[in-house]
Amino acid sequence: MAQSCLWIVALPLTAFVIQALVGKKLPRHGDWVSVLAILGSFAFAAPIFLEMIRSGHVSEVLQYKWMTMPGVEAAANSPVLNKAVTLTVGILVNNLTAIMLFMVTLCASLIHIFSTGYMHGESRYHLFFAYISLFSAGMLGLVISDNLLTLFMCWEVMGLCSYLLIGFYYQKVSANHASLKAFMTTRVGDCLFFLGICGLYVVFGTSSLSEIYKALQAGTGTGVTIVGVPALAFIGFMLMMGTVGKSAQFPLQVWLPDAMEGPTPVSALIHAATMVAAGVFLLVRTYPILEKAEIVLPVIGTIGALTAFLAACIALVQVDIKKVLAYSTISQLGFMVLGMGVGSFAPGFMHVITHACFKACLFLASGSVIHAVHTQDMREMGGLRSKMPITFLTMFIATLAIAGVPGFSGFVSKDRILGDALAYGMTHPGWMWIPILGFITAGITAFYMFRLIFMTFFGHARDEHKHHHAHESPFTMTFPLMVLAGLSLAVVFAGPTGIHSIDAKLLPVHWFDHALDTVKAEMGVHGLHVEEALEHRAHGLALMVSLTVAGLGIFLSALTYLKKVISAEAFEKSLKPVHTLLWNKYYFDELYIKVIIQKLLLPFTVLLAKFDDKVVDRTGVDGWATLTLFLKSIVGKFDDLVVDRMMVDGSGNVVSAGGWVLRQLQTGKVQQYLVFTFIVLGFFIFYFVR
Amino acid sequence: MNLLDFANSIEGYLLVSSILFVLGVFAVLTRKNAIGILLGIELILNAAGINFVAFSKFHSAAMDGQMVALFIILIAAAEAAVALAIILRFYRLKQTIDADEASLLRN
Repeated sequence: MAQSCLWIVALPLTAFVIQALVGKKLPRHGDWVSVLAILGSFAFAAPIFLEMIRSGHVSEVLQYKWMTMPGVEAAANSPVLNKAVTLTVGILVNNLTAIMLFMVTLCASLIHIFSTGYMHGESRYHLFFAYISLFSAGMLGLVISDNLLTLFMCWEVMGLCSYLLIGFYYQKVSANHASLKAFMTTRVGDCLFFLGICGLYVVFGTSSLSEIYKALQAGTGTGVTIVGVPALAFIGFMLMMGTVGKSAQFPLQVWLPDAMEGPTPVSALIHAATMVAAGVFLLVRTYPILEKAEIVLPVIGTIGALTAFLAACIALVQVDIKKVLAYSTISQLGFMVLGMGVGSFAPGFMHVITHACFKACLFLASGSVIHAVHTQDMREMGGLRSKMPITFLTMFIATLAIAGVPGFSGFVSKDRILGDALAYGMTHPGWMWIPILGFITAGITAFYMFRLIFMTFFGHARDEHKHHHAHESPFTMTFPLMVLAGLSLAVVFAGPTGIHSIDAKLLPVHWFDHALDTVKAEMGVHGLHVEEALEHRAHGLALMVSLTVAGLGIFLSALTYLKKVISAEAFEKSLKPVHTLLWNKYYFDELYIKVIIQKLLLPFTVLLAKFDDKVVDRTGVDGWATLTLFLKSIVGKFDDLVVDRMMVDGSGNVVSAGGWVLRQLQTGKVQQYLVFTFIVLGFFIFYFVR
Repeated sequence: MNLLDFANSIEGYLLVSSILFVLGVFAVLTRKNAIGILLGIELILNAAGINFVAFSKFHSAAMDGQMVALFIILIAAAEAAVALAIILRFYRLKQTIDADEASLLRN
């Protein structure tokens, strides 16, 4: 099972290599290589998933020894002392892995298929497929990684692919800036994440998740401190920052909307379904650590709630169809993080999966719309319902899911998260505003999503020319939409309605809950613990409130954008400052670029550059060069005079002088030789015969 | 010791061979003519032959010294043949048989 996981990663990786090297020369520019590879991964992932559904529990750890490193300075009372650390890399397959693998390969496969239609005729078509293959390999590698180091590597591979794909239309200046922004912003989180991994080494002596779970259950790590800070809290915060960067949470959310510069399938693949989910998946994987570090979870919940609320507000005023979806992605990621923060482990993870399906559907549908009308501005759309029935229907289903309408997947997970958040707020009154923000956001979400649907598909055509040329997309593009819309139904993840008290009578135990219960026990996750009566009360209340706000949001949206009873323009004018604030995204970009980068980092950089130039270059490098030249001249003289002249030439001269002396004896006169012979003979006789 | 006794003793023989040897060496070292040198060599060989015979006569019952003397005569003949052939060739080359002219390997 773990072996087939290797294949799941290896196939897209091979496709990447083939595409990058010879993709251009292959028939159809080799898109079938990538598509077949990801379908192959899906074929390997599906048996694992089915096995998990059948038996309710898969678990396998496969480890290889990678290398041995010299000793690491360890904190007091930690199991590692200054001894060599053996790095093992491995594969951790549990229920979470199985579900994620299935979701990622499925979404990726559908998006690959969609791309063959959407990207048709683009230049650098083969490179696009090379990048998304590498991206898929990175994501799948991250999902199966047991060791946080390999997870981090895959994490960075995805960062790279994100950079490449956002900047895919490299002729556009904005795309270049967006790709750089995404890369640099996530880098902030990645650095801190890596510090967290280092912290894990100090405390546990390993970064292998399966070993950390065991160590945590044995009670390791509590009471250990790193520079005076409780170690687990430090690690927890650092891991959280990794998530904040990757999943575009407050305050590093700025890159995700700009990432919409990439081709739409990329937005669907990276910035909705998978890569941003990797951040939340990291929280899921490391949840036992976060739970032990008590202070971290409420902070995570706060960040999630803030992000969800702030992003949803921005989405209200956006007119670019992809930007609306981008902000809704940030907002929904905020919901997941919020769920993680309040201890709502299973629903939080479920929201990762449900969101991946309906958000991929929304993005692909928006891609289909953009493909048809060649604009992203919703003000130029309208009335597309009759022109593009399949796109409309699938996008409508996904919208119902994200808006939290019963019977659709988004409702199931979001309602459970909000219920848990409310229960958490009731037991921890100081954090009550987390569920309150959550409920408000749920209402806003319903409002802006229906605004999108009404502006795009309903009403009359605002741009006759574009409307006239619009047409339904080819089957390769509508097929993925239909599959993803099917997965946006509640029945996939829970009962047919998604309301627990009704479904419980129909389906006693659903596969998802069963799978998550098992894996929670295996990982040692406790989750939210409140009294059963309180929990029931909270969930009942949450159901009522979330239904009310969702209904209210849809109703207001319909009044404003469908029936035009409320004038959006008048509303906008009366709240001009708020609108400006939202339109400028709370001035976060300005804050980061004008204040932090230009006022703080730039002078510092200039200072460092001066130091580098004056001290390192002039004194250090040049000085070293001068010293070397001086030494060189001395050594050169020694070599010339002593070695060459005296020793090499000298020995030659001695030999030739000796030769000259001996040569004088060779007179060529036979009788002289004979005289010498007799003289020598005489000596012999004189010495030996005497 | 009278002259006859002296002549019949080993010293007498050795005296003759010494004189012969010294004469030979003198001829070899002083003659410019290659044939003169050859003659000197013959004298030296014969001096050696006389020594063999003398020692054999006075110190050994067997005839081995005389045998060696016979070999020396034979070898001297062969050597003279070879040397004369060389001198002949040399004469063809240089139109002289002066040994000092054979100095191609000088220095």
